[in-house]
Amino acid sequence: MSAPTNIAGRSRNPFVRFFTSPFVWLVAPAATFLVLMIAFPLGYVLFMSTQDYLIGLQGRPVGLQNYVDMLQDRVFWIGLRVTFSLYFMSLIAQLLIGLWVAMMLNRAFVGARGLRTILLSPLAMPPVAVGMMWLILLDPAFGPVEYLLEVLGLPEMLFLASPSQVVPTLAAIDTWQYTPLIVIILLGGLQSLPEDPYQAAIIDGATAVQRFFRITLPLLRPAIVTAAVLRSIDLLRFFDTIYITTQGGPGSASTTLNIYAYKSGFVFFHMGYASALMIALFLIVLVIVLLLSRLRRMGQ
Amino acid sequence: MIVAGKRSTKLAFLANSAIALQYIIIALLILLPVVWMVTSSFKPSAEVTRYPPALFFEPIFDNYVRLFDTLPYALYTMNSVIVAGGSTVFGLLLAVPAAFAVSWYKSNWPASVSLIARMAPGGLYLLPWYIIFNGMGLQGSYIALILTHTVITMPITLWIMSSFFDGIPRDVLECGLVDGMNLMGVIRRIAIPLAAPGMVVSVILTFILSWNYFLFALVLSDIGTTPLTVAAFRFVGEGVTDWGMLMAAATVLALPPLVLAFLVQRWLVHGLTFGAVKG
Repeated sequence: MSAPTNIAGRSRNPFVRFFTSPFVWLVAPAATFLVLMIAFPLGYVLFMSTQDYLIGLQGRPVGLQNYVDMLQDRVFWIGLRVTFSLYFMSLIAQLLIGLWVAMMLNRAFVGARGLRTILLSPLAMPPVAVGMMWLILLDPAFGPVEYLLEVLGLPEMLFLASPSQVVPTLAAIDTWQYTPLIVIILLGGLQSLPEDPYQAAIIDGATAVQRFFRITLPLLRPAIVTAAVLRSIDLLRFFDTIYITTQGGPGSASTTLNIYAYKSGFVFFHMGYASALMIALFLIVLVIVLLLSRLRRMGQ
Repeated sequence: MIVAGKRSTKLAFLANSAIALQYIIIALLILLPVVWMVTSSFKPSAEVTRYPPALFFEPIFDNYVRLFDTLPYALYTMNSVIVAGGSTVFGLLLAVPAAFAVSWYKSNWPASVSLIARMAPGGLYLLPWYIIFNGMGLQGSYIALILTHTVITMPITLWIMSSFFDGIPRDVLECGLVDGMNLMGVIRRIAIPLAAPGMVVSVILTFILSWNYFLFALVLSDIGTTPLTVAAFRFVGEGVTDWGMLMAAATVLALPPLVLAFLVQRWLVHGLTFGAVKG
């Protein structure tokens, strides 16, 4: 707003200046929308989290009781554990596979463009459809993946129906859908790397492995962190695919914090408690993103 | 020397084959599940659950016919089009002027606001929205669905359009001002026509993302306004055994965004990474 405004007539009155500024007029519709749909509800949810609020009943102020209850709630801690195991498994798998595929696509080779196009298709699919698709692919009774295991002589798996396999299975499904995003981001990073360090390294007789760990990886760090931030935001709030395939089950084996908060609010209608859970989840996402952003700045 | 040369071409051939093999494996890993879903939608249910699975079968259209005859899938599809289309257009109307302002005055706030809006779990908004829309009698209405989906479409359109407006040389716009147009005239006659490709990209991209979005409609839609995502979820939840029809439902849901994404390939990633990558 400090930019020169040779369009609006200058007035001394700050109110007049504000309301005659074209910037304000142009931004007003979008800003009003954001205030009504995001800022106001955010304030309201903070208020709700201090209420004992069952839908249909008038809320009763309970102070921080919902937060105290949360810390004593066994399912909250299970949700936290499930959220983070799903997060770490998926993120590590996706970064490693994503780096491998990006390095491969970075070499000029026939079909690289075609493969890029193919890579984009999981990103465009609705997670709901992806969940349904994997539901039949991984069916323990008739799924083709089960058949593949049998042909390869591997033990049978229950996948989504097993409490111990459900989290890795969901991580694998997410890896199938979203690793391409990491590939494309890292590919952008790889293609903007400078040539000089590599030429110097080749002259110095560095091996390909040394070049990868000493040059490529450090220079690629900003792109890797960007990819990690994006995936962290979505993975910590993992919802759609779980809700389609297991709805948090079997038992509470795949009940992430987001699933638990959703169920508390819209299945059991403890809206106040659900608000506290959602706020906790939001804070977790915020902290992780801040930590990762520090990682980007570190050593630069 | 000749021997060495032969060996090196042989090595190069091996290396190339290794790369080609990896390409094929990755392509198959991505494509086969989708192909399986689509082909299953053309199988009778007994064929879908056949073990071991058969590669060849006689395709039938029965699943699609039944999907639209016995279930209100025409309505669900229309609802998805209304909600995705409505939120795309509304988001565009709100975002284009704001995007121009942001680009012209080199403001930075949309990136920050969008990032915060993006980090919050959808449920965080959904809890108060549910109570507010109930109080206003809007629960289950198209208005509630379009408004909430605009929360997804508007920031992305703002993000994409401001980078398109950034791409217009400032001189071109200032020429208009010098010629006596006011700022509105410059936007209408110069900036918007020049950024028209950006509007096409935004429309396609936000339509895809709004079409795919599940959570808000799960809570805020009712029988008459159920979109395809929620219909598909209910279908799974009923404990179906009609797998062929289920895969037809999944295909109907997945096909439009897949086809549209083809048109905006490069921008798909730009849209998905918004807020995290500057510029």
